[in-house]
Amino acid sequence: MTAFHTTRQLVLRTLAASVLIAMLGIYASNVQAGAREQAKRMHDRIAGVPPSAQVLNDMTSAISDGDAAAAARTAMEDPAFYDVTLKNFISPWTNEDMSPFVPLNDYTATVIGIIRDDRDFRDILKGDIVYVGDSSLGLPSYNVRNNDHYEQLEARVNGSTVSLSNPNHLVKTEQSLVNGGELPSDATAGVITTRAAAKAFFSAGTNRAMFRFTLLNHMCNDLEQVADVSLPPDRIRQDVSRSPGGDSRVFLNNCVGCHTGMDPMTQAFAYYNYEYDGDIEAGRLIYNATGETNDTSQVAGTRVVPKYHINGTTFEQGYVTPDDGWDNYWRSGANRRLGWDSNLPGSGSGAKSLGEEFANSEAFAQCQVKKVFRNVCLREPGNGADRAEVDRIVNIFKTGTVEGPYNLKDVFAETAAYCRGA
Amino acid sequence: MTLFSGIRTSHTLLALVASALLITGCGGGESTDALPNTSGNNNTVSYSGPPPETNDVLNFKRNVWDNLATQDKCGACHNDGGQSPQFAHENDINIAYAQANTIVSLSDPSQSEMVTKVAGGHNCWLPSTTACVDILTTYIANWAGGSEGSVKTVELRAPDIKDVGDTLTFPEDSSAFAASVYPTLTTYCSECHTSNGQTPYIASADVDIAYEQAKSRIDLNDLRDENDDLVLPEDASSRLVQRLWFDNHNCWDDSCQSSATTMLAKIQDFIVALGQPEPIAPELVTSKALNLENDGLLANSGGRFEDNVIALYEFKFGEGQTAFDTSGVSPALNMTLSGNVGWVGGWGVEFGPAYEDEDLGMIRAGKAQGSTDDSRKLHTLLTASGEYSFEAWVVPGNVVQEDARIITYSGSADARNFTLGQTEQLYDVLHRSTTSDENDAFSTDNNAMLLQATLQHVVVNYSPNTGRQIFVNGQPTGDVDPDSPGLLTDWDNTFALVFGNETDGNSPWEGAVRMVAIHNRALTPEQVQANYDVGVGQKFFLLFSVSHLIDGMNESFIVFEVSQFDSFGYLFSSPFYIDLDDTATPSGVPLKGMRIGINGREPSVGQAFANLDVTLGSPDYEPGSGQELSGLGTVIGLENGPGADEFFLTFEDLDGKLYARSDGNLPAQPEPDDLDPVSTIGLKTFGEINASMSRMTGIPVTQTAVATTYNTVKQQLPTVTDIEGFLASHQMGITQLAIQYCDALVKDTSARAAFFPSVNFTADLTTVFSAGNRPAVINPLLENLVGTNIGTQPTDTAITDELNGLIDTLTACSDTGSCETDRTETVVKASCAAVLGSAATLIQ
Repeated sequence: MTAFHTTRQLVLRTLAASVLIAMLGIYASNVQAGAREQAKRMHDRIAGVPPSAQVLNDMTSAISDGDAAAAARTAMEDPAFYDVTLKNFISPWTNEDMSPFVPLNDYTATVIGIIRDDRDFRDILKGDIVYVGDSSLGLPSYNVRNNDHYEQLEARVNGSTVSLSNPNHLVKTEQSLVNGGELPSDATAGVITTRAAAKAFFSAGTNRAMFRFTLLNHMCNDLEQVADVSLPPDRIRQDVSRSPGGDSRVFLNNCVGCHTGMDPMTQAFAYYNYEYDGDIEAGRLIYNATGETNDTSQVAGTRVVPKYHINGTTFEQGYVTPDDGWDNYWRSGANRRLGWDSNLPGSGSGAKSLGEEFANSEAFAQCQVKKVFRNVCLREPGNGADRAEVDRIVNIFKTGTVEGPYNLKDVFAETAAYCRGA
Repeated sequence: MTLFSGIRTSHTLLALVASALLITGCGGGESTDALPNTSGNNNTVSYSGPPPETNDVLNFKRNVWDNLATQDKCGACHNDGGQSPQFAHENDINIAYAQANTIVSLSDPSQSEMVTKVAGGHNCWLPSTTACVDILTTYIANWAGGSEGSVKTVELRAPDIKDVGDTLTFPEDSSAFAASVYPTLTTYCSECHTSNGQTPYIASADVDIAYEQAKSRIDLNDLRDENDDLVLPEDASSRLVQRLWFDNHNCWDDSCQSSATTMLAKIQDFIVALGQPEPIAPELVTSKALNLENDGLLANSGGRFEDNVIALYEFKFGEGQTAFDTSGVSPALNMTLSGNVGWVGGWGVEFGPAYEDEDLGMIRAGKAQGSTDDSRKLHTLLTASGEYSFEAWVVPGNVVQEDARIITYSGSADARNFTLGQTEQLYDVLHRSTTSDENDAFSTDNNAMLLQATLQHVVVNYSPNTGRQIFVNGQPTGDVDPDSPGLLTDWDNTFALVFGNETDGNSPWEGAVRMVAIHNRALTPEQVQANYDVGVGQKFFLLFSVSHLIDGMNESFIVFEVSQFDSFGYLFSSPFYIDLDDTATPSGVPLKGMRIGINGREPSVGQAFANLDVTLGSPDYEPGSGQELSGLGTVIGLENGPGADEFFLTFEDLDGKLYARSDGNLPAQPEPDDLDPVSTIGLKTFGEINASMSRMTGIPVTQTAVATTYNTVKQQLPTVTDIEGFLASHQMGITQLAIQYCDALVKDTSARAAFFPSVNFTADLTTVFSAGNRPAVINPLLENLVGTNIGTQPTDTAITDELNGLIDTLTACSDTGSCETDRTETVVKASCAAVLGSAATLIQ
């Protein structure tokens, strides 16, 4: 009892002291920031941890020399940038709840690896790429049916002896290799075809979730923002009621707005499914390669997974998906503003080409910069100066600096430099 | 939805009186009641004349004569010695048969003179002529024997050729819009519907964007109705008005009615500003025009299996308080509509919830109920057969309602013979049998989301062989009746048939019923599928003439199957091209970009054939049957109703007649509004706090005690960086984690030696924390946890003062000699945690 009382007193007094110091801290933060303070902030924002004295000095010098972006690059050398900042930056993209409290998985690891290795960030939506823990770490090998490999890797990450920042610990391989023949290389599409994304967005449902969350996470638009009722509804599947509750106005004014664009593009995922038997944690990504077919109520011998034909009697005159051919209807109408690449055809077959369509859009580049801006500046771009800076950074992102175009480290560096304080 | 009122009741009474006058005025017949007395036995007639000479005469007697020779129907006039033809001859069935043959068509019962005469207004014995027509058709079809279930061919006939009428069109320029509707939109809708907010961007700062987005939500017919009266808000088709009037969508000034009225007035100002209707733009490539009711060819081709139907509701009447049983099986089990019930366009009734009406007071939830006397026929006929099939086309209003009765034959909430109900996305079937408890639901559990809030065909079968089976949209649900098959002998004959509610009115169902058929035999799976395939409602073929667009083809049409889909839309489906001259065949005729026009305009929504790209001709074209253009269907919004709306087609290319459609320039995006300034500093989030503490103390995150505490408090730590979201609970979590790190640090002798190189943890408490030695404790904390010479961090002096105060308090025990032996470690831990768990760590 006495010991308990002592501990309680200790906690209370410590807490009181912390709060007092906290108030000092907030007060202190209002003071004018010099190069040293700017360096501290940049390091905190990029790595999430305070810098060592040496790093702080180096960054201060770089800022004083007028190269704040170089200071930011120094901060990015901290393992915590990969182990903490990027992990928490990416984790919400990997689940429908957008929770950051999810274990490391192949989606997160792959994006971290692509950033770390200065790869073209567009690969996240089209590459035959996945990052795994190196075999030297003694982890259970990558398994298409569970996440043990990544969870054990995460449990080992301590920022020093094991880190995602270490190219010898987190290594690149191909999805087509680790999927044991299930996923041919031309059916891979970056994070879209990772196990984590499949579990979150290809499980059950109609695969529209994969489209919506790709749009949300990588184009920074939810369906509401891209709704366009004036496009042809000819590709809207049979499962969408044209008269919800007996009122076709609801369809003609609401439902159709999203489905006109979404359904013809979601068709790209027509051969994918996440199969599981009761336990979703033990499921796996399935791809119907050439010759692998299902019979559905509408179509016999089709590679299209049955979920594309469910509820076919809801509106029988709706579209029956025959294959994975997709068309981007948003190249017409109001959603031209997403900035589609005129060098691409705007249609194709399968997830890889759709990922390429997305990744080469202006909206994709803008989205990555805005996400980093929020992460580093702790706010939305809120005024003309911010928006101009975003545009400038987007341009740098697209054209590249030292390591070539679409390098997300450039975005972190430029954004941290912009928001380092004055 | 039409609400029934006292006015409607008096209309119905007038109709009844008129019917009585007509029937009593036929001359020679005895006086009779206007309505059949269906509760007694005087609706039958006994026959004692010569026997039927052939089986066909016998069939005639059973199916037609027995039903019509009564005094309440044709027997009052067309009897022996009465009016010709004497098909109700009561003394010689063979004469009646011969007379009847002169006025029936067994190959096409609906076209029999007996039917068309009544359809033209001749002495229907019910208030609804359509009900009499349907019943007569059923009798004759039954006489024809087996004709039910057969499919007849619809012969395509060319309609009258009409040009597309004049119309108003939206001007290119947005100035009229800017002067009328736009100010209202920007005043009341700009909180959400600006260019950076929610779609549609009808209140965009850029008037051109707002105009583009508002076009599909403004109906240019909303100025005057067919009587040239100003359109009222409740009748307006503009979505901008409907959202306010019907959906109560973010109205202003606390009144949706006045908001909708204001919006409509502005729209009408806009329409007035457009001037008079003008001919359709000459550059458009258009077909000829058609109206659904006047030009449509009836496309219902039969095929339903109704051989054993004992009650049938098709809801064709469209007004009044009665839904007629047109099965032809006496007594007619007509249903009386009450409460919040309305008729649905394209046949059907809709049941709504109870609500408070300003004038009429409380309106009960909708219900349709038959009398217990009439309902007794269900008991009689179903218990006799021992099996049944309840078949319905329903549109559940939502998928959240529970304990909602769609069709029930019951006496109270827990006393029933049969009930079809809804529980969220399940259909429930309850029935009474010798093996089933009347209150145990048998549900469509096999597919948890089978019930959808859309038009569905539901059949509940029961036979002693199979038990209960449920079919939805023609397919068995796969649910297996848990009860062993039993008998219906326990059914209660005092119950009533009810749609949309329970007899007590306490289990309302929201939704529409578009057809109900009750059969006294279970339908076979094939018959269920066939009835589903036939569909529901009236269907037409619309033949859009395109002869003027295709060289060398003189009777060319694009044919759509069209029906009224619900009260607000038309379904256009399965278009095909045909030339009615079988000797003519198109050759290589391109057809691209087909759109459906209505009332002189192309609606922007629902153009499912806009991407059509086909070539008319061999090998796809077959003389006599044509060439399919698409298997798709689409819904086009209803404007003035099937009697008034005029349809046409437009093409981007038909046989080289071109119309170039351009997407227009994308309007520049307006500059977004600036956001309010926010704090330039923020919180570190959970992972960053953990990593920071690890980095500061040198204790790895994987250290067992630390990792355990982190996993415990992780979700209690800040998840967002917004400093205004900082909570006391966050600080509690941070403190726990800080104490755990400092505990690990102080307990680890090598780690603490590295961190506090000058502290002798084994020395006397007063020595360790003497004024001279305190810097050995405090300085490493400042250096490692706060950093040196960083202006944005708390000053060393301020922290030192706080820590000195803490140390003074925690070492006070030394004055009384009551300190524990590990007090030094405790005080160092506390000092460490006070700094580690502070803003010096937390703020970024």
